[in-house]
Amino acid sequence: MRKQGLLSLVLAAVAFTMFFVGAPVAAQDTVKIGFFAPITGPAAADGMSAKNAVELGWKEVNDGGGIQGKKVDLIVYDDRLKAEEAVAIASRLMERDKVVGVVSGSYSGPTRVVAPIFQKAGMPMVAGYAVHPDVTWNPNTKTSNDFIFRNGFLGEVEGAAAAEFAVKDLKAKRMSIIFMDNDFGRSISAGFAERAIKLGAEILSKQMYKFPGEKDFRPYLTTIKEGNPDVIFAAGYYNEAASIVRQAKELGIKSQILGEEGFDSPKFLEIAGDAAEGVIIATNLDRDDPRPVVQNFLKNYRSAYGHDADMVGASSYDAFMILVSAIKKAGTDPKAIRKALLETKDYDGLTGKISRFAQGEVVKPVQIQIVKDGQFRRRAIIDNPEIITPPMKK
Amino acid sequence: MIWQQLANGISVGSVYALISLGLTMVYGILRILHVAHAGIYTLGAYVGLLSFRLVDNFWLSLFAGMVGAAVAGYLVERFLYTPILHLSRIAPLIASIGLFTAMEEAFRIVAGPHTLVYNARVGLGDLAIGSFRLTETQVLILLVSFLILLFLWLFLTRSRMGLAMRACALDLETASSFGVNVSAIIAMNFIIGSLMAGAAGVLIGVYDNQVWPTMGSIPAYKALAIVVLGGLGSIPGTVLASIIVGLSETFFIGVLSIPFPRDAVAFIAMILVLMFRPYGLLGKA
Repeated sequence: MRKQGLLSLVLAAVAFTMFFVGAPVAAQDTVKIGFFAPITGPAAADGMSAKNAVELGWKEVNDGGGIQGKKVDLIVYDDRLKAEEAVAIASRLMERDKVVGVVSGSYSGPTRVVAPIFQKAGMPMVAGYAVHPDVTWNPNTKTSNDFIFRNGFLGEVEGAAAAEFAVKDLKAKRMSIIFMDNDFGRSISAGFAERAIKLGAEILSKQMYKFPGEKDFRPYLTTIKEGNPDVIFAAGYYNEAASIVRQAKELGIKSQILGEEGFDSPKFLEIAGDAAEGVIIATNLDRDDPRPVVQNFLKNYRSAYGHDADMVGASSYDAFMILVSAIKKAGTDPKAIRKALLETKDYDGLTGKISRFAQGEVVKPVQIQIVKDGQFRRRAIIDNPEIITPPMKK
Repeated sequence: MIWQQLANGISVGSVYALISLGLTMVYGILRILHVAHAGIYTLGAYVGLLSFRLVDNFWLSLFAGMVGAAVAGYLVERFLYTPILHLSRIAPLIASIGLFTAMEEAFRIVAGPHTLVYNARVGLGDLAIGSFRLTETQVLILLVSFLILLFLWLFLTRSRMGLAMRACALDLETASSFGVNVSAIIAMNFIIGSLMAGAAGVLIGVYDNQVWPTMGSIPAYKALAIVVLGGLGSIPGTVLASIIVGLSETFFIGVLSIPFPRDAVAFIAMILVLMFRPYGLLGKA
């Protein structure tokens, strides 16, 4: 007995030594990429979707031989949608994990908090779908965070694209707007209203609802119904979105509902049910894009996880792949990676062909999708350069 | 459109009444603030949803939600409040807040953090007159609330137990000295209040088509404001205050288009009442 105990003690010591001595040796022949998302907490559905999609991309990269013969090591953290958690993750990624680049699969809150930290440290980060302007911009110094890149659209851009579609394609003249009280809601509805007015449409009403927490949209919708608009532009995440379209249908509202990427989730289709049919959204994923990068992703995601991919997953996957392709070009030096990202040109991304990054903002077409038979389908693509080029800050 | 907004407001107000009544009844007899009542409301929604998924019948699920909430309410009274009633009033309040937080976490762990869908076909149909439309779920809320309030009123005014309950609310010790079984009355009080909260949970679950772990957190404090507004312990006052809050929320948003957080309305009303009529709308001075 005693001997056996001694043996296991020795074995444990050997394992212990191997673990700690072995790890740095292994680190040299892998490329470490950091990733964070709200995997638990109030945004868990989106966090899981981002994590699943990025892990899919990670496997693809490694199965295809990794980066310049080295395997990619994906280091995943859960920020629980908390800014303070994200700050701790940022320093852990840089100091302990020694990553060469970071992908954000999280919302604006955590992402905008870590952006200046990575900027200061010279660590490149690509954000999947965080929309806040301060992710790529430092409002204090009024300079661009030039190590940070964004694969999703700014609210203004997506809103303007939705207005372009409403006026030019749907021939809508009278619009009502309902949006949530947060940065995304305000910027996307401002972008929508500005473009719609410029194109000669009339905004009948503009209502802001409390976020989070609003569930009963009937008082707002009753007011909208009175004006009988051609189009209702609605901004919200899937819970609010589903309530809006359901309650609009209940109240007998016939106006076309036009939403945004917050609607782009299987959860929206589930909660809204039949009422989702015919709803049109401006988003960052075209399911009917025939390019293999899109169709393979949709197929592989479905077979890996048993449900359909959404905008959040696709955008995070893209962010990861954009970073990987920059590392493939430039090697593992963060400054060289950033330079490669800056020089991105006509990149064949899952969420569209990226022509370039301008001040870290992506320049690519906005997708207009419609719900048909309980699924998002292509309706139009907005590629007017006047719309999709993000406004430059000074 | 004013009629439509009226329907929207009264529907919301009716649910507020169902939630707040239990709170005011408990306060009326025991003088404790039963914060965990909002947890009972959420439990009612989850039990209703679970049974709806099992039996696929809305009315059975409403019944199950009410019974589930009533059982939980009884257990809370027996095993949480009764053992600490002799302590100062702050003790049950703290216990109640603790229980409410624990319940929210339990819902999250058991049922998951996601919003669940309560997509029940009630079988009532819309009521449409011209452009005015009472949606099916609004018909449901008005019907169920009206029936429950009618039963409550009949029970309190026409039954011996109701009489005993009102006597206890007036003075617990005197009622006891006249041979009223006080502990049975207290238990009954919790059961009736929780039945109503369970019904409210199911109704909101169907009205919003959503059930989620923290659905009780706003009602938890809004119901307190409503109860104070109506006059602590006053049942007609609570119903009146609920309808007033439901209507003013709706009118602030829909008619005046004031971009105003709706949950503040109840508190502003409460502050106004406390300034000019500190015993509440129908409370006794």
